[in-house]
Amino acid sequence: MKVADIVGGIIGILIGLFALWEGAKMPADVVMKIGPSFFPNMLGALLILFSMVLIVNAVRGRSKGKVEPYRLSDKGVQRGLITLAAGSVFVLVVEPIGFIPTAIVFLTFMMRVMGKRSPLLLAVTPALITAAVWLVFEKVLVLSMPAGVLADYL
Amino acid sequence: MDFNWSLMFASYATVFSPGVLFIICVGITAGIVIGSLPGLTATMGVALLVPLTFGRPPLESLAMLIGIYCGAMYGGSISAILIRTPGTPAAAATILEGYPMARRGEAGRALSMALFASFFGGVCGALIMTFASPIVSGFALEFGPVEYFALAIFGLSVIVSISGRSLVKGMMSAVFGLLISSIGFDPISGFPRFTFGMMEMMEGPPFIPTLIGLFAVSEVFNEVQKTGQLQQLKAKVDRFLPTWEDIKHCFKHLCRSSVIGTFIGSIPGAGGDIAAFVSYGQAKRTSKHPERFGHGQIEGLAASESANNACSGGAMIPLLSLGVPGDAVTAVLLGAFIIQGLQPGPMLYKENIDIVYQIFASMMLAQFAMLFIGMAGIRLFAKVILVDRAILTPTIFVLSMVGAFAMRSNIFDVYTTLAFGILGYVMMRYDYPLSPILLALILGPMAEANLRRAMVISSGDPSILVSRPIAVGLMVLAVVSLLMSIRGQKQVEARLAEMEQAFEKEITD
Repeated sequence: MKVADIVGGIIGILIGLFALWEGAKMPADVVMKIGPSFFPNMLGALLILFSMVLIVNAVRGRSKGKVEPYRLSDKGVQRGLITLAAGSVFVLVVEPIGFIPTAIVFLTFMMRVMGKRSPLLLAVTPALITAAVWLVFEKVLVLSMPAGVLADYL
Repeated sequence: MDFNWSLMFASYATVFSPGVLFIICVGITAGIVIGSLPGLTATMGVALLVPLTFGRPPLESLAMLIGIYCGAMYGGSISAILIRTPGTPAAAATILEGYPMARRGEAGRALSMALFASFFGGVCGALIMTFASPIVSGFALEFGPVEYFALAIFGLSVIVSISGRSLVKGMMSAVFGLLISSIGFDPISGFPRFTFGMMEMMEGPPFIPTLIGLFAVSEVFNEVQKTGQLQQLKAKVDRFLPTWEDIKHCFKHLCRSSVIGTFIGSIPGAGGDIAAFVSYGQAKRTSKHPERFGHGQIEGLAASESANNACSGGAMIPLLSLGVPGDAVTAVLLGAFIIQGLQPGPMLYKENIDIVYQIFASMMLAQFAMLFIGMAGIRLFAKVILVDRAILTPTIFVLSMVGAFAMRSNIFDVYTTLAFGILGYVMMRYDYPLSPILLALILGPMAEANLRRAMVISSGDPSILVSRPIAVGLMVLAVVSLLMSIRGQKQVEARLAEMEQAFEKEITD
């Protein structure tokens, strides 16, 4: 956790500095004394302060808890990264391609990644889940979902 | 504010209609299922299912979400007892006694007591909420910007004190959450802050997508990394309600823990997990045989379960009467209220008093529905925890994205959800608590807007902040709570380590 805490502290300091830098560009308020920059400035300063405390604690060996190191050879880590990639593709294509095809492909792919091998299961389950979600949102709750390429048929 | 009995009866009559009762039962069932699945918390359940209530009438929507909330609080105990994995963080204390009981072959006894204790705690919480909320709100009608600012500061100070293992990380989470809450138009002058020139950022990060990301998507990333099947204990679920002897034996603990749970729930920021651990500790301290705790003592189980369910009633008190959520789930509920066009707080009592009393009635009926559904489905729910993760986890991801999109049909909300999902996962992995962010998102704008309003009234004179007795009292409480949390942090750490040791010992035995 020591290295992680130092990195976390540095990220905190950078975010705090960014808040201060942005705050400096905000206009001052003459009536109330505290303008739009008051909160961001105060929070930026506090974040920097706490981040420094975290770093100092880490350097002095007072970090708490343990964290499993990331190993790319680890199957779990691989699944995590694949999910991140698949999830990113999902959000990028769900609007142009549409909810139904995107969800079916995503669910099939992810079930395969998570160890499902049966072709029947992989063929039927994602379609059923997608149909159920679509019916509930689009037909029961009348909330629009991205139609995408199926716009003419739905 | 006087309690309106005739409105109370009328509200019970309204809620007692088949439509609303049905929706409460749907909520309870969904809640128990979500709660019993490890990794799916009550917060996540409510966040994930809020989109299902878009476009429904306010009473139906809120009744369903209250059902999910109460059901999930109880559901957490099922997996805690059967697979020594708390379904929700609030059920962590239940493992300590529930699992040893199940291993001893008393799973039925443990599950039935968990259900009864949840019901008992829930009813006490709902009763206290019904009678306390109008009093608090009457009091809150006198609140001005100074008092609201002080209240937000008090809420924030409590968040910090409950940040668990590392106080510094809890502080960092809270400050980071406050910074996120300052994105968008400044509440007084309308100056756009941290928007990066994007139109979508002008109103700040959308609330529901943010919390679906933080609490549901982050869990998906967490879940896909785990391997191995859950091992369910070969449990014989042979009873639906505890015996009269067990109830009599635990009655004192049930009453005390329900009051403790409601009280802790009503403190802005403190949730079911704290209520359960405090009540469990209290039951252990006052027991004639504290050495038996950890080996399957039924009163320990009754204490933690009644406390975490009582907490839900308690957490609704500040939400309804002050507009300040008592815990993470009620923070999500606040979002649901706003979607329905209702602003919780003292004005809700002025403008929508009927809805307030209907919520009281829904909360009470939800407890009875939970008892009956729990009794009827106890065997089935015991099997739910074995549902296939390879199907469930990707489905949660899809539901999260659909839910985020459905509110405004805006793809930006889907991007926000994924971004906050990644952020939430990274923060969880490195031990930064997530709940402070959620509460900071609500308390931050409240603190800032009211501070600046107060400054407008006083023409920039900061002494206005100490000019009102309630505000001074709340700020003193905030300082006391901060000092106590800093002083008590070592004790909290020691207690957490002790609990973890007991838990690890339990697992290795």
